[in-house]
Amino acid sequence: MTGRARVRARGQALSGAAGSAGQPGSPRRPDGSRGDEPMAVRTLQSEKEASTSCGHRETTKLTQRCFSGIPVKVITNLYSLGLPREWQLYQYHVTFNPELESRRLRLALLYSHTELLGKAKAFDGAILFLSQKLENQVTELTSVTKRGETVNITITLTNQLASSSPVCIQFFNIIFKKVLKKLSMYQVGRNFYSPSDPVEIPQHKLTLWPGFAVSITQFENRVMLSADVSHKVLRSETVLEFMTSLYTRTDSACFIQTCEKELVGLIVLTRYNNKTYRIDDIDWCVKPTDTFPKRDGTEISYVDYYNQQYDIVLTDLNQPMLVSRLKSKQNSTVEPRVVHLIPELCYLTGLTSRAISDFRLMKDLAQEMHLNPEQRQQRLSRLVDNIQRIKEARLELEMWGLQLGCQVSLTGRVVPTEKILMQEQICLPMSAGDWSKDMRNMKIIGVQPLDNWLMLCSNRNGELAENLLNCLKRVGGPMGFHIEYPRILQVQESPMAFLRAVQQHVNPEVQLVMCILSSNQKDCYDSIKKFLSLDRPVPSQCVLARTLNKQGMMMSVATKIAMQIICKLGGELWAVEIPLKSLMVIGIDVNKDALNKGSSVVGFVASTNSKITRWFSRCILQNTGTDIADCLKVCMKGAISKWQKYNCELPARIIVYRDGVADGQLKMVVDYEVPQLLSVLIELTTNYSPKVSVIVVRKRCIPRFFAEANRSLQNPPVGTIVDTEATRPEWYDFYLISQLARQGTVNPTYYNVVYDNSGLKPDHMQRLTYKMCHLYYNWPGLIRVPAPCQYAHKLTFLVGQSIHREPSLELADKLFYL
Amino acid sequence: MKTGSHLNLLNYEVSITENNKLIEFVVKMFQKHNLFLIFSVDCMMDTNLQKDDLTGTIKFIPPLYKQRYQFIKDLVIKYKPKKVADLGCADCTLLWMLKFCKCIEVLAGLDIRENVMKEKMHRLSPLPADYLQPSERSLTVTLHHGSVAHKDPCMLGFDLVTCIELIEHLEAAELEKFPEVVFGFMAPAMVVISTPNSEFNPLLPGVTLFRHSDHKFEWDRAQFQSWAVAAATSYDYTVEFTGLGTSPPGTEDVGFCTQIGVFVRKYPKNGETVNSEKHTEHAYKTVFKAVYPSLKDEKYLQNAVVSEVLFGADIIKRRLLGNFKSEWKDHRDGLETKFKFQPFKYFMRRSKNLPLAETEKLAADRSTEPFIDGNTVYIPLAKIFSIPKVNQLCGTFEKLSKLIAGKVALSNDGSAVIVTIEYENEEQEN
Repeated sequence: MTGRARVRARGQALSGAAGSAGQPGSPRRPDGSRGDEPMAVRTLQSEKEASTSCGHRETTKLTQRCFSGIPVKVITNLYSLGLPREWQLYQYHVTFNPELESRRLRLALLYSHTELLGKAKAFDGAILFLSQKLENQVTELTSVTKRGETVNITITLTNQLASSSPVCIQFFNIIFKKVLKKLSMYQVGRNFYSPSDPVEIPQHKLTLWPGFAVSITQFENRVMLSADVSHKVLRSETVLEFMTSLYTRTDSACFIQTCEKELVGLIVLTRYNNKTYRIDDIDWCVKPTDTFPKRDGTEISYVDYYNQQYDIVLTDLNQPMLVSRLKSKQNSTVEPRVVHLIPELCYLTGLTSRAISDFRLMKDLAQEMHLNPEQRQQRLSRLVDNIQRIKEARLELEMWGLQLGCQVSLTGRVVPTEKILMQEQICLPMSAGDWSKDMRNMKIIGVQPLDNWLMLCSNRNGELAENLLNCLKRVGGPMGFHIEYPRILQVQESPMAFLRAVQQHVNPEVQLVMCILSSNQKDCYDSIKKFLSLDRPVPSQCVLARTLNKQGMMMSVATKIAMQIICKLGGELWAVEIPLKSLMVIGIDVNKDALNKGSSVVGFVASTNSKITRWFSRCILQNTGTDIADCLKVCMKGAISKWQKYNCELPARIIVYRDGVADGQLKMVVDYEVPQLLSVLIELTTNYSPKVSVIVVRKRCIPRFFAEANRSLQNPPVGTIVDTEATRPEWYDFYLISQLARQGTVNPTYYNVVYDNSGLKPDHMQRLTYKMCHLYYNWPGLIRVPAPCQYAHKLTFLVGQSIHREPSLELADKLFYL
Repeated sequence: MKTGSHLNLLNYEVSITENNKLIEFVVKMFQKHNLFLIFSVDCMMDTNLQKDDLTGTIKFIPPLYKQRYQFIKDLVIKYKPKKVADLGCADCTLLWMLKFCKCIEVLAGLDIRENVMKEKMHRLSPLPADYLQPSERSLTVTLHHGSVAHKDPCMLGFDLVTCIELIEHLEAAELEKFPEVVFGFMAPAMVVISTPNSEFNPLLPGVTLFRHSDHKFEWDRAQFQSWAVAAATSYDYTVEFTGLGTSPPGTEDVGFCTQIGVFVRKYPKNGETVNSEKHTEHAYKTVFKAVYPSLKDEKYLQNAVVSEVLFGADIIKRRLLGNFKSEWKDHRDGLETKFKFQPFKYFMRRSKNLPLAETEKLAADRSTEPFIDGNTVYIPLAKIFSIPKVNQLCGTFEKLSKLIAGKVALSNDGSAVIVTIEYENEEQEN
């Protein structure tokens, strides 16, 4: 996430003025809205203060420091900017009399007064930034143009900006962009890359450009630079070469379809300019020999145009054209311009869907891209080194009184390991990342026996089915899961045969349908899931025959399947100690529908018992245009009534973990979703006022943490919490590392408590959040987000990918989507 | 958007719409390219600027400045100079156009106004895509800040030096030194000088004295030609005159709007080294330098060769292991029976002589078949060398061995590329 995104995330409008300040070449916003930003900030903050009256940091975070856990020293990817405390940026408004249209002339005239302005100045034609204050509030200057015209220049001080002001942070971001350009890096998208040091993955025709994501942010006590390693994936062949090799690999009859499926939506880089385009379509009827009108109205063929303009000879005169719609910058009413691009002159960036599903390719890619903490640190050091060593880059900073300081290290805390509660025993995992071995032979908390169920397989997989059944029975016993012999149906090897068998044989008494599928065919899976979630709601379990063919793996595969089945029947596997009574935990996630891009899938999963082992799951589809808040109300009502039904009372506390918040939506969550959730509670009964906390969960965040051990850097241990320095001053927030990273560098999860009237100490809030990461039943170990969020995610994934409609409410009590 | 605005721009009354493009266009014309018309433009709803809508007394299509650049580009295409310098390069537009000419290996720009040069100089940097498939030729682009009245050894040894609309901006003292610097010192094989023809000025409404406020003089044809002939004679050049921008019918006797002198050095290239020793002092400041990635650079060549070798080895390995063969066979069957798809004929052509088919043939001749030993595939270097792309990049077998040494895993005796077979087990959770 870049500075820009973050600024937006805090609900501050991007400043047109600041955006163009340090960058004379950047387009200026026509509205020129300047000076509105501080207002916007204030509004947001006051609203927030009002809405989170009891939960704000003055009362919680600052006064009550957290002490639980073992202190651990972590090194961050944050760097101080070495700014003196009194550092300020001076913003001036500059007017010219007579007015000058030419920006270049304005620049030249103003810059001719070097002795007054000094070296550090940035001027976009109207707004001037200086690092030192001019003697007077208003300075009058006179310049004479080359033609002898006298121009009066008036420079008026409009603002003194502290380093923490949004405009200033925007300004720093621009300065650092310049610095990276000085290091011969290229901006692609938001980040900067070095194409001159590529990493080639020749077997897949891929090139990786190493680079950095760099941004300036106001952290707890100071403004800091954050730097993270980033890679740009590109294909080292042209789109035409890609199409050719695709053609040799696919059936020619469906080539056009396959080609469009692979390419549409991808971003290409052209050979002749520094622009990227999105492929929106492929035009198979236009050829390079066809003509197009130039701006002056004359017609020219593509071949001739590229030959004349760029001395490029097109070798294939029959290639189709890539079509890209250009985003219109000014207003959306103007029909967007469409450009035709020659495949031979374009390179693909990013990965095609086929590439993503290519296991080998992704493995080779991961080998290059996943850097462990030590390697990551080396890259960061090299960047900092370069900035300090290369004179032009350093001067760019020094001019403004900035310097790249040392890497910030801070103290985190490792909270104690959780005990896993089984039916009779307590399991103390050896490794919090995976306790499947530790709980072997322990009884799960509880599940109804599986008496009446169906097993479907194709004719040739009959033996596999029998085999699986035996294994299931063997692993089920020690778990305390009784499995009866199912009704086994052997069907034809076709998607339709499976669906027909399901339609025929599933009745309301059936507890579960298991299907052994021969291939990973999506439509077969989808049709079964659709029927059994919508038309005849029964939990179903699909297994790939290939998975069952692995020798020596059967027992562990069967264990996993057995546990999934238990969850799908509404059973409970394990629990953790929850010190709070009558606590309801909710997870919310939002996803896109794969078929209907215009609609989003909202998943809402709430616990229905105090042990937090049973869940109420609901999924709602709605147009992206409408607010999510409305459907949250429906879900919340459903969850509360379920709780009431099972517990004969209302929950005393509610904690909502909201995932899937896009970069700019934080304000929307605070302003609309939180009030909607609260309104349900108020409307329930008169005297009911539960303690509510709303926490936004983000899997991607800027900081990275490394722990020093044996003179090298490693990932910090699981359970590491950071709530100082790298946090933000205006939020009640913390970072938690709750997953075990086997490869690469761990990504901490960022938690932002946007509403809280619970009176819970931050310490307890953090511990509770950590406990929630233990409760995802599809994985016997820690996960990176609280379990309800992961459940909600799974649910939206199934609905968004396969079902495309709201699943029947009869299944709401079961984790049918695992 | 329909409000027309009046702006007093360089003494010309211009009535235009608030269309940024148009403003930019007009400003450009006035400032850089000495256009000189009174435009009266009606407010246009159409954002696509049609130049025909600009009604003036005289207009050139394409605009004269473009014609001048095209003139240079045509010369470059014709004479294929390797080193080209543009004196008075302003915002580097000509250099940008020339950087795409494949014959040019060195491009240099010189201008007295550093800020103008810097404004768009990033256009001269290599594009990110240039690094993806580095080109055969090498290219270095340099920008210098300095005056044409000063000598600097960095301008020695050029094949073509262009001075487009430059000399009329020079003060008398500078103009005096100009021939000695350009013809005497730089002494390129060819010099092109363009300047306004003052005889044309009466046809340009609004032009009182000069076409541009910064012009120190504007010459008629006789003045320019006598100056040019004098310079050519004293420095042993021939000169021919031409021009761009013809006058309306009936006024042909005024000549071209822009007059051009093309100077060609009479003596063969020599003596530069002597010169450079005399003037080792640098008078210019380098403000920009870009070295384009090129296969002439060992680093990029090695990268390209190693990639091709590994890619080729991977295909051979897969084919040897059987996966590829069946794929390939299926494909060929498909071609013969199902091929109906016409617009994209390229594929037919390509697939009929796929590199692999060639490889196979060549390799068979040399009996250098790859083989499997244990879980290692050995692919003889001779076979690798027969891959067309590798062959083309390396040229010689020795070069191939040298380039891949240490970068590609080789057998003990160094005669074959080795690839280990991994039996990966695909994990797929459901």
